Amino acid sequence: MQPRKHENTKKPLFVFFVPSWLRGGVLVLVALSAGVSLSCNRDTASTTTGKPTVALVLKTLNHPFFVDMRRGAQEAADRLGVTLQVQAAEREIDVEKQMQIVENLIQTGIQALCITPSGSREIVSALVKARDAKVPIVVVDTRLDAKAAADAGVKPATFVGSDNYEGGKLAGEYMVKASNGTARVAILEGIPGHETGDSRLRGFKDAVKGTPGISIVASQPANWERDQGFTVFQNMLQAHPDIDSVFACSDLMALGAIEALAAAGKAGKVRVVGFDALDDAKKAIAAGTMAASVAQFPSEMGRVAVENAVKVIRGETPPTDVNVKLELVTKDTVK
Amino acid sequence: MTATSTTAPPDNARPDAAPTAAMRSQTLLLSARQFGTVIGLVVLCATLWILTPHFLTVSNLLNVAEQTSINATVAVGMTFVILSAGIDLSVGSIVALSGVVLGMALQAGYPPVLALPVSLAAGFACGVTNGALISWGRLPPFIVTLGTMSIARGAALLATEGRPISGFDASFRSLATGRIGFIPAPVIAMAIVYAIAHLLLTRTTFGRYVYAIGGNEEATRLSGVAVRFHKTMIYGVSGLTSAVAAVVLTARLNSAQPIAGIMYELDAIAATVIGGTSLMGGEGTLGGTLVGALIMGVLRNGLNLLGVSSFLQQIVIGGVIVVAVLLDTILKRKNNA
Repeated sequence: MQPRKHENTKKPLFVFFVPSWLRGGVLVLVALSAGVSLSCNRDTASTTTGKPTVALVLKTLNHPFFVDMRRGAQEAADRLGVTLQVQAAEREIDVEKQMQIVENLIQTGIQALCITPSGSREIVSALVKARDAKVPIVVVDTRLDAKAAADAGVKPATFVGSDNYEGGKLAGEYMVKASNGTARVAILEGIPGHETGDSRLRGFKDAVKGTPGISIVASQPANWERDQGFTVFQNMLQAHPDIDSVFACSDLMALGAIEALAAAGKAGKVRVVGFDALDDAKKAIAAGTMAASVAQFPSEMGRVAVENAVKVIRGETPPTDVNVKLELVTKDTVK
Repeated sequence: MTATSTTAPPDNARPDAAPTAAMRSQTLLLSARQFGTVIGLVVLCATLWILTPHFLTVSNLLNVAEQTSINATVAVGMTFVILSAGIDLSVGSIVALSGVVLGMALQAGYPPVLALPVSLAAGFACGVTNGALISWGRLPPFIVTLGTMSIARGAALLATEGRPISGFDASFRSLATGRIGFIPAPVIAMAIVYAIAHLLLTRTTFGRYVYAIGGNEEATRLSGVAVRFHKTMIYGVSGLTSAVAAVVLTARLNSAQPIAGIMYELDAIAATVIGGTSLMGGEGTLGGTLVGALIMGVLRNGLNLLGVSSFLQQIVIGGVIVVAVLLDTILKRKNNA
């Protein structure tokens, strides 16, 4: 028989007690490092600089589209002499985290809020708090759900964005023309229920509807992501080897599909039309592996959003709706 | 805790046993440990108070409490599971599925009084299924809950065709937007969950068994405890608290999203572990978990207030989690040496 062990009697009390302070110490270090990073950042409190602060809350910062938008916004902020605070959730679909960011920014006393909603309906609850704090709202890129906003009494000062429905139509019209009216099309959708993707899809379908030779053989969400574009399209290709055209609601998904085509030895043989005209997509268009993409101008959106936010702060009235142009980029027009 | 002789059953497996010296020192140990975490929270708050004038205001503190409530509620069930030396990776997906069940019930016109129990039952059922497979199927919790994570997410997506269900009436939404006095409803919901769970864990035989199973499952079984049943119920509790979080989240977003709750399992595990619960099971408290959840909430809030880049935020939060677990492991090793 073994002797009784003494693991948890008196001595460990001391062992436990001292390092538990250490744990507190580590948190101090972490908090301090946050403080250090603050000194690298621009001053956020408007009171200390006298400059008004405009917040730009993006869906995410791991997408080139939003990185461009931030650049345009920053340029405008520098030119107009306002402080720009940019925050984004880790994941594009995380609307709850985006709400938290909005709530937290309101606490810092921002003078205006520019936001690209991660959820057209869901974000309204956070915007109610902005309204109550009398922070004017500029909605960028993705519209609020009109009914949800009206029900909650949220009235954005202005909307800045491209008409995604028109963009989808542009892509659809190109598809009809380029295929001479006969095509078997696969569609890669964005996250279901997102206004942006839904509008592009509607525009595309409306544009090809009148052409009986065009049939949509598969249509599935790939959630805006490149790797999902790859796998979803690979599976579609297995089920329908005769697919000759693809419309992806975003370039990242289109680029994923192009990689899947390359893996299947069909690079350049299928007409891929994307949306956003990202740099990678433009390269693919120039190389002939992609047919076309609808160009949006996110940096333009960022610029106009900040300009209009500043107008509101200065007591001026910006236009209620700013339509940022769209362009179809093909091999002939790619730069 | 495994402060047992080889002949007697574990002290804490006998709910009727008078507190022994070992048990008393155990309580002391845990409170000392928790004390350290509380100091961590206080220091963090003090630092933020110095760095930004926007942190220590009533409205911001209520804001933090409200934002923390969802993670803190999920972490209650996670604490039960980890105390029993298990793990539950499916909580985020259960949040999504019970949220979707709630959304569908509300949309079908059921009043909240009926829809809420249905949603809670769905979460509980998911948890019980996990527990049954782990207990009677003798499968590792990691694998079972990994499977459920995918199944529940898929079921939520399938039921909604991937689309959020939104637009609920004001009476339901008041669960998130309402206030009693000046305290937001989600914070009150969280407080109620903690109060009930704390009583369950410290004042009932079930609670004692949770610690006993985590401390030494074999010894607990040998002393005549229905370990399988109790383990099943432990995962049931986790499913249930996930469903409670789903109710608050659905009301907060005014929308039941099948993609809600992604990565919630990691936030809940982090809160539990930062709060001093050992991943080996058998030691930890709900108070610690609450403080752990608050540390994460305050950290996120503070980093937002300071305007720290969102990329740096992820590094800082990840760092805190790793350091907390590292300390836990070092302490454990010293303790067992």
